[in-house]
Amino acid sequence: MKKGLYRTLAWTGIVKNKKLYLPYMLTCIGTVMMCYIISFLSTSETFGNISGGTTMQGFLQMGVGVMAVFSVIFLFYTNSFLIRRRKKEFGLYNILGLGKKHLAVVLFWETLIIAAITIFAGLFFGILLSKFAELCMLKILHSEAVFEITVGLNSIANTVTLFAAIFLLIYLNTLRQIHLTNPIQLLHSENAGEKPPKANWLIALVGAIILAGAYYMAVSIEDPITAMLLFFVAVVMVVIATYLLFIAGSVTICRILQKNKRYYYKTNHFVSVSSMMYRMKRNGAGLASICILCTMVLVMVSSTVCLYFGVEDSLRQRYPRNINIDASASSVEMLYGEQTEKTIEIVDETVQENSTEVQNTLIYRTAAFGGIIDNNRIEVDSSIYENRMDLMGDIWQIFIVPLSDYNELMGKDETLNENEAIIYTTKDIKYEEDTIQVGENESYKIKKHAEDFVDNGIDSMQVFPTMYIFVEDLSDFVQPLENYKLGDDEISLVSYHWFYGFDLPCDDDTQITIQEQLTERFSESEENTDEFSYFHIITDGVAKERAGFYGMYGGLFFLGVLLGIVFTFAAVLIIYYKQICEGYEDQSRFEIMQKVGMTKKEIKKSINSQILTVFFMPLITSGVHLAFAFPLIRKLLLLFGIMDAKFLITVTFCCYLVFAVFYMIVYRVTSRSYFSIVSGMRDENE
Amino acid sequence: MSMLEVNSVKKIYTTRFGGNPVQALSNVSFQVEEGEYVAIMGESGSGKTTLLNILAALDKPTSGSVRLDSKELSKIKDSDIAAFRRDYLGFVFQDFNLLDTFSLEDNIYLPLVLSGKSPDEMKKRLEPIAQQLGITSLLKKYPYEVSGGQKQRAAVARALITSPRLILADEPTGALDSKATDELLKLFSSINQRGQTILMVTHSVKAASHAGRVLFIKDGEVYHQLYRGNSTDNELYQKISDTLTMLMTGGEHR
Repeated sequence: MKKGLYRTLAWTGIVKNKKLYLPYMLTCIGTVMMCYIISFLSTSETFGNISGGTTMQGFLQMGVGVMAVFSVIFLFYTNSFLIRRRKKEFGLYNILGLGKKHLAVVLFWETLIIAAITIFAGLFFGILLSKFAELCMLKILHSEAVFEITVGLNSIANTVTLFAAIFLLIYLNTLRQIHLTNPIQLLHSENAGEKPPKANWLIALVGAIILAGAYYMAVSIEDPITAMLLFFVAVVMVVIATYLLFIAGSVTICRILQKNKRYYYKTNHFVSVSSMMYRMKRNGAGLASICILCTMVLVMVSSTVCLYFGVEDSLRQRYPRNINIDASASSVEMLYGEQTEKTIEIVDETVQENSTEVQNTLIYRTAAFGGIIDNNRIEVDSSIYENRMDLMGDIWQIFIVPLSDYNELMGKDETLNENEAIIYTTKDIKYEEDTIQVGENESYKIKKHAEDFVDNGIDSMQVFPTMYIFVEDLSDFVQPLENYKLGDDEISLVSYHWFYGFDLPCDDDTQITIQEQLTERFSESEENTDEFSYFHIITDGVAKERAGFYGMYGGLFFLGVLLGIVFTFAAVLIIYYKQICEGYEDQSRFEIMQKVGMTKKEIKKSINSQILTVFFMPLITSGVHLAFAFPLIRKLLLLFGIMDAKFLITVTFCCYLVFAVFYMIVYRVTSRSYFSIVSGMRDENE
Repeated sequence: MSMLEVNSVKKIYTTRFGGNPVQALSNVSFQVEEGEYVAIMGESGSGKTTLLNILAALDKPTSGSVRLDSKELSKIKDSDIAAFRRDYLGFVFQDFNLLDTFSLEDNIYLPLVLSGKSPDEMKKRLEPIAQQLGITSLLKKYPYEVSGGQKQRAAVARALITSPRLILADEPTGALDSKATDELLKLFSSINQRGQTILMVTHSVKAASHAGRVLFIKDGEVYHQLYRGNSTDNELYQKISDTLTMLMTGGEHR
């Protein structure tokens, strides 16, 4: 009987507060569902057998971790809204004779009911939708789908454990809060007098400085390596700055406006400014969270979308031709020797056997080495820069290419005098000096900067920028460099390569066959080489690597979109709770203003402008964040071989637009419920 | 001609879901002359608040008319009503109705800001009122920082600052302790002596005993009225008590 009472109390508590509990429960269901789906996909056996599938699952494993952490934080956050609103009710129960122990029992039932419903429903929808997600993922991997629903028992167990733990933590936290307050406080917790917010100049200033610093960093960084190293620093700085600015900066601005009497004492500004101040004090953190979530979603979605849709470009850069042959030779002479002819012969034979033909060939020779750039000189003595993290950003990959190859490949007719060179640099980094000196070589005058050169797999694979130096005679140039060794090993610094790439007008399977045959034949012909005289051939093919690329980029894309959806809904929910809470708080204010002689229209206008400001500030701020993050994102994507800045701009802009439209819809819906709360009360009083 | 004329006002509420109509006011008529201090008394449910809402133009009578300075309240356009309320009426409420987001000063300024007065003029107007009410030192404080009596004085200042024709007070002493009540009533008397017309709704005998005239409402009608004449506050207090006793024991209409 007694137990029944507690259960009934718990149940009516939920039903009576359905305006608060429904969104909370939907959130719980949503997070449970997402957790299950991601966990299911990351362990599903369907993907183990598909090429690229395991790569993708690797990323999803990461996603499981992110989701778990996010669920904890987010459910705690939404639950705190609930408790804040329900404290009065608990206080009443307390005064009516329900001890804190009894309240604990009621709350226990409440948590249990909610946990049971949401975990069950979440798993149900999760299992239903996991098939859909699986199909999407297979589509991304360009693979065939099997139409049967599978249930990941392990994933179910993991999800249930995770959420049981979260609900337990939430329950304990609620108990802690109730334990700390006495009944009178519980009763009045909602309308406790609140101190007027103080303008904290220092914090606002610190926030502005940090933000300016982060922005400056994002804009000024030039090379991708520094961008990569400092990206997370910048992100952390922006996050901190956003919180500081939303919490302290906004109040400070309101204070400044208040000081300006001519501005402040105007019908339009008077009410808005002062209530904005309170609103911001209470919601600064929430708004900052919304802003950060928005920015995160936008950055994540636009970059992963870019990666995914740029995957073919990226592939083409990594593998400039369908089949790429990279022969490392022991001397410059070999690059022009009979081995190259023999290799071409083998290729021609193999291709003909497969009844297809070689197209679009790409042949050039190069001497490759790494070095540190120091004004107009390239330091090649590796002992100087070994283990020096601070010099990371100055490391360059250098390719010396004979001018004849350049002319032939690019269809140019350049000539060079003695000690002149043409250079070309990648990854958007400029070399601005007039001369260049490699090691102790003579200094070369830079005749011109080439506009373009062929893609090179090594360049696109590395984070370091590449400099091509085109010279009249390759062997003259590299001879003085031959004595340099790489570290303590006896490997010489400079390596000689002969590149031979070609396209094949046939399907992927034939390409893979040809590639395999080539690899086999090259290794046969390589047998009679030794340490000092070698011609070692590595064969790469796009067809064979494509699945792996799709697995990786597709995995990132899929994860980006999934987490994007989750974070978006998180933002929506925070917005909704904010509106509801403020609605209840503004009810009485609304009434007073009317009694004092404000027209409904004026009140509505003032409230509308406040909501608009509060609502769209995060969206606008995240737009600014995104704009400043853009150069950084672009640099990072360069590392993945996405060179097309226009494409990135378009994608980012579209993402922002779609997001803004979605945000607007959310605004319309939630502000309607806000107005219904505010004016609903008034109608009852009249 | 009287400043405020209330003629056979009737108010019937129909509940939203079509329940039985409730008659809050059946037939109320009275006049208030300029400079008068009138208290309206009645038990809970007698229709006091309804009457006040109608006088404040927050609500419209079902039939009958209310005229302030011979302006028919129900004829004022909806768009002008807020401005009318601001310029002609000052309100003092039981629960003060101060906005907690404003300092006392800004709360008092609110009606002036709404009518677009300049900061300098607002300041000029506030100074004498604040001094009279003894809240000059409290102006920068926020409502949660001051006592109930102080809050009510700020609310009175807000009502006075527009120099309204009529001050409407709804149970102004309801949430105050006895000391604060005495102070507030003294304040009302002194404001009234300077020529301010006050209409107060209350069920406190003490509050009513400071007024110049007391109207009794019962079952939606003006049932009886008492003039102070030459009585002191105490004598009036006694008379009011007697009348209330008579009303409660169901005495007949005189």
